[in-house]
Amino acid sequence: MRAVYLGNFFIAGCIAFSLLGWVASLHPIAFRAVFCLLAAIAIGWGLSWLLDFSLSKLLKISVADLQALLIGGLAMLVIGLGVFLCT
Amino acid sequence: MHLKLFVLSASSVVLWLAPLSALDKTLGIHKALQGVSLTAAIACAVTAGNIAREQAEQNEIEEIKTRAITADVVDEIATSAYISQQQRQQEAEQILNPREQLERLLALTYDESESSEPIAQKALAEHEQNDAQNSDAERAERIMQLKAKGWGKAKIILEIWGVSKGGSPKYKAAETEYEDLIQKAGGQ
Repeated sequence: MRAVYLGNFFIAGCIAFSLLGWVASLHPIAFRAVFCLLAAIAIGWGLSWLLDFSLSKLLKISVADLQALLIGGLAMLVIGLGVFLCT
Repeated sequence: MHLKLFVLSASSVVLWLAPLSALDKTLGIHKALQGVSLTAAIACAVTAGNIAREQAEQNEIEEIKTRAITADVVDEIATSAYISQQQRQQEAEQILNPREQLERLLALTYDESESSEPIAQKALAEHEQNDAQNSDAERAERIMQLKAKGWGKAKIILEIWGVSKGGSPKYKAAETEYEDLIQKAGGQ
């Protein structure tokens, strides 16, 4: 049941990134806004990956859990935007 | 609940993939439908995720309950086994050591009331007297056996009392006891 729960939230994340792509396709200004948002997400992701030990202490979770969250987030972004762009 | 979860999960995937692949992105109405569909898909996926999380938490609680019940049962069995082992040990001790049992009993009797003290002392004295009589009888029997083998007095005293011949008080006491036992055995 835990796998179903995690899987559903993973799918929700993927759909959210597809929705972000859809928003970007509405207007050039929306595209810029989404691009900036994605750039901020990328910077945040990179910093989180580099500062995983201090961030895990701050969030009170293990480093492995934090890394799993970061990799899961990256996978959601790739799959969500990939599905939107490829269809 | 499982059916609802399955339907919500499947519908979220369908609402995500079907409009994106089937509808045209250049048409305004299709684009709007895609947006609505994606929003609904997110809602379905989040709802299904929440239901699954509740189920997972309930399952964990059930597992904890089961583990607690099992631990209680194991503990109860271990306690009863320990108690029965202790009882068996006490019974074995009582069977193997009647003198100690009597002393304990007498000590208990003495603790309960002081008036029972003479009775306790009498019972203990009787027990010791019986022991001494048994010991004398055994010694007399042993002396007769050794005499029948042709052993001398000094050798018998050395064998039974462990005292060698001489003028020591121990040897004299043993010799007196030997004579008494011989007389008693002769009288019987």
